[in-house]
Amino acid sequence: MRVLVTGMGGEIGTRVAQLLEAREDVTEIVGVDFVPPRRRMQRAEFARIDPRNREKLVAFVTDFAPTAVAHVGVYEPHSRMSPRAARESTEACTIAALGAAARTGKLDRIAVRSGLEVYGRGRPRPSVPDENTPPSPTSPYGRECLDVEVVATGIGRRADIPVAALRHAPVVGSHVPSPLGRLLRLPVVPVPAFADPPFALLSLEDSARSFVEALCRGIDGPLNVVGSGAATSWQATRLGGRIPFPVFGPGWTAATHAAELAGAPVPPHVIELMRHGRVADGSKALDVLGLTGVRPTQQVCVDLFEWAVIVPLRRNEAAA
Amino acid sequence: MTRVPVFKDPGPPDEPDDVDTIGSGASLASAVKNRVDGLYPIDPFGGDPQIQDLLAPLVQLGVRAHVTHPELLPASGPAVLVSNRGLGVVEPVVLAVAVREAVGRRLRVLGAPEIPLLGDAARRLGGIGYHHEDLAAVLRAGHLVAVPLGNTWLRTGAGEPPVSLIVAALGFPVIPVLVRPAGPFGVPWLGRWNVTVGPAVVPDAEVALDDPLSAAELAELARAGVQALIDAPAPTA
Repeated sequence: MRVLVTGMGGEIGTRVAQLLEAREDVTEIVGVDFVPPRRRMQRAEFARIDPRNREKLVAFVTDFAPTAVAHVGVYEPHSRMSPRAARESTEACTIAALGAAARTGKLDRIAVRSGLEVYGRGRPRPSVPDENTPPSPTSPYGRECLDVEVVATGIGRRADIPVAALRHAPVVGSHVPSPLGRLLRLPVVPVPAFADPPFALLSLEDSARSFVEALCRGIDGPLNVVGSGAATSWQATRLGGRIPFPVFGPGWTAATHAAELAGAPVPPHVIELMRHGRVADGSKALDVLGLTGVRPTQQVCVDLFEWAVIVPLRRNEAAA
Repeated sequence: MTRVPVFKDPGPPDEPDDVDTIGSGASLASAVKNRVDGLYPIDPFGGDPQIQDLLAPLVQLGVRAHVTHPELLPASGPAVLVSNRGLGVVEPVVLAVAVREAVGRRLRVLGAPEIPLLGDAARRLGGIGYHHEDLAAVLRAGHLVAVPLGNTWLRTGAGEPPVSLIVAALGFPVIPVLVRPAGPFGVPWLGRWNVTVGPAVVPDAEVALDDPLSAAELAELARAGVQALIDAPAPTA
């Protein structure tokens, strides 16, 4: 299996590449992103290409001719770039990389990163959607994720190959750039005054594992990948020893501006999560991907505030 | 500093995944400290088992449920309790008390209102959204869930079954339950209620999952099961 990892410069992409390196059925790993990987790679190769530079990206992917694509290059607004740059990069990366890979004719499987944001929030929607729930995003990032799924599914249908759309719960961790993580780590965190809805989180490791399993098993269709259990906004704030600040109505606009001044710009989908919660039924993914020991949501939340074990300096045992 | 939250109460050893089983409580001081520190379990449906266990004794002061055939309630694993509903709000509470006393499990109730404060409180206490996805998810997670029939207002009767939701219950045990006041003239005198559990509904034909026809048949069977309990002679309390 020759795997192309888009978005290898991110935490998830880097970890996906590391996990792929440890597998013997993966012969070659090549990654692209606008920044270099976050860890030392053993045998994966990296090319620094800004996804918005389509010609360069298409030429590179066509030259490599991957048999599998781990499309991690779905950029969350305010995670590592501005909302506009994130949307443009995601769109360009999806169409250029997946399209070029499919045109080579060698491609036989795709796994794309998506998010629970595709389900949206509001009255007529179920609070715990499963994969059969029709997506109807209500935030820019949700629409971005759904666009990626639609493009990838279309490419998969035309080439007749399996496409796994991994709808991840928000991935947070002490060293993972994430707008939600930054917001929860402010000394004072805005929380809904008249509600306390539950949301699910996912650990970086489980996110990367789901990618590798979905690719190696050739899964087709969407999968909700979430940590077990849930946490609420008030609870998450207290788990980190932060002070919850009740906010309602127009106060959220003020809170968003205040958070941005404090160094944590908050995109709409994070406000949506804080106000309306975001959970999904992830039982199918556990079954299909054979994931065991998925880190529970509250544990992921506690990990977000832990500082002692930020960077694993030890190389993994397989390489040593 | 290692702070590991408690994610769920320890169930009986043979059913480690049964999240509804009521476990042993901690001391009051540590419980209050853990609440302040955010160290308490919350499930994806918004349920808060600690709050439920805290409020249960208070509710039990006001509601006395006499359960007939408690042995028909499952002690573990997912199941649907289809119950009648006269006024709407009280019957699910009575049923929750009955289930708690009979088999020591927490009950989930379908149909949390979509109202800001009230809906959130209802979810805390075990309510789930009125959607077939939510019902399917709660059953897959192994909960015991009450699906009330339609309101019959002050009459005792079996109301309309929620056919569009029952599709999620296909393949799970469906148990009809009758809840009615125990006092004279159909009044819950001194908070006394009779809860009668019927035998689990068995579909005639092989049910196909996600099949609307099978769902409609199952819903009708469940409604008939509740009606049969109503028509049966009242138990001597």
